[in-house]
Amino acid sequence: MSDSRHIPGQKVLIVEDDGWLAHQQSRALERADFVTRVSPHAAAAMVEIDDFRPDVIVLDVLLTGNTGFTLLHELQSYGDTGQIPIILSTSLASEINLEDVKPYGVKRILDKATMKPDTIVAAVRSVL
Amino acid sequence: MSIGKQQGQRPLSGELQFSVPSVVAAAHELKAPLVLIRQLALAMQQNDMSETERAVLVDRAVLTAERGLRLTSDLTKSARLEDAMFEMAPINPGAVCEDIVHELAPLFAAHERTVRVKSRRHPLLLVANRDLLHRIVMNFSDNALYYSEPGTAVELQISALQKGAIIRVGVRDYGPALSSDMWRQLQSKLSSGPQAVHARPQSSGLGLYIASLFADAMHGTIGAIRHRDGATFYVDLDASRQMSLL
Repeated sequence: MSDSRHIPGQKVLIVEDDGWLAHQQSRALERADFVTRVSPHAAAAMVEIDDFRPDVIVLDVLLTGNTGFTLLHELQSYGDTGQIPIILSTSLASEINLEDVKPYGVKRILDKATMKPDTIVAAVRSVL
Repeated sequence: MSIGKQQGQRPLSGELQFSVPSVVAAAHELKAPLVLIRQLALAMQQNDMSETERAVLVDRAVLTAERGLRLTSDLTKSARLEDAMFEMAPINPGAVCEDIVHELAPLFAAHERTVRVKSRRHPLLLVANRDLLHRIVMNFSDNALYYSEPGTAVELQISALQKGAIIRVGVRDYGPALSSDMWRQLQSKLSSGPQAVHARPQSSGLGLYIASLFADAMHGTIGAIRHRDGATFYVDLDASRQMSLL
């Protein structure tokens, strides 16, 4: 997995309603020179996307309130946000087919149950 | 909005043991704390961490494990409700709530929230099984922690209804207002029991379902009230007439 396209300071928005898990993901990415922000739910994420302009979004599926799928639909309805690569980080990885969600900008699906701290870094690099 | 006997949906306790959706819901609910504990452990393996950071992660792992263990304990208890004898006695719910606040304070503090009892000048007594009431309010409090905003306080409130015949123990959280859609989903979960993971948005409602079983075993009901700035989950139980115990 090449990281040649990774420019230090590239921005990753983590949409994750478990604050402690989000902190771990954020820490791993920042150790790899990414800049991160965390949104706890889909509504906050839409606001953050406008402000932060992320290069990549790491998205949990089962969020408090609207699900990650609602956010995917929302992102696809705008020309600019529809171009942002999405990485799903979910406990439901085995139940989601990547081909089904590719039309929504999803490039990778990570299984929370098996991923390691560096997995998220490698995944983000791979979609840049 | 309340559930239980009034809606003619008295759930059987054995249902939890055999219902596939319930098993799936339980597995999913337990997966979340296990995933987090695993991630915390993996992070602690890294060498570039200060002792202070490591201590924070250890603390988080312990608190997360305790939340998961509470769920397993509630599941076991709920599956054996019909076989068990529950002592129903006059109880001061304020004392139960104070115990819970003491127990949960570290967890809430670690999440930058607080939990407190909204005190009453005159204590109210209700008839309940202390253990089951404790579990219900703990369950609501765990739920409130998840849905409240950082920096806010979750309040355990006790009030009298129906001219003092019913005592309500509620857990009030302060967070984003629930949308109408979310409210309908919540109502559905409260009335239909836990659902398979793929059938619901973010939570199976298993905790609420278990709370409803515990309330039902004490001839009570649980319910929820939607506020503009959060929600209250409550259990209604018969008031005790033994005021002389005070």
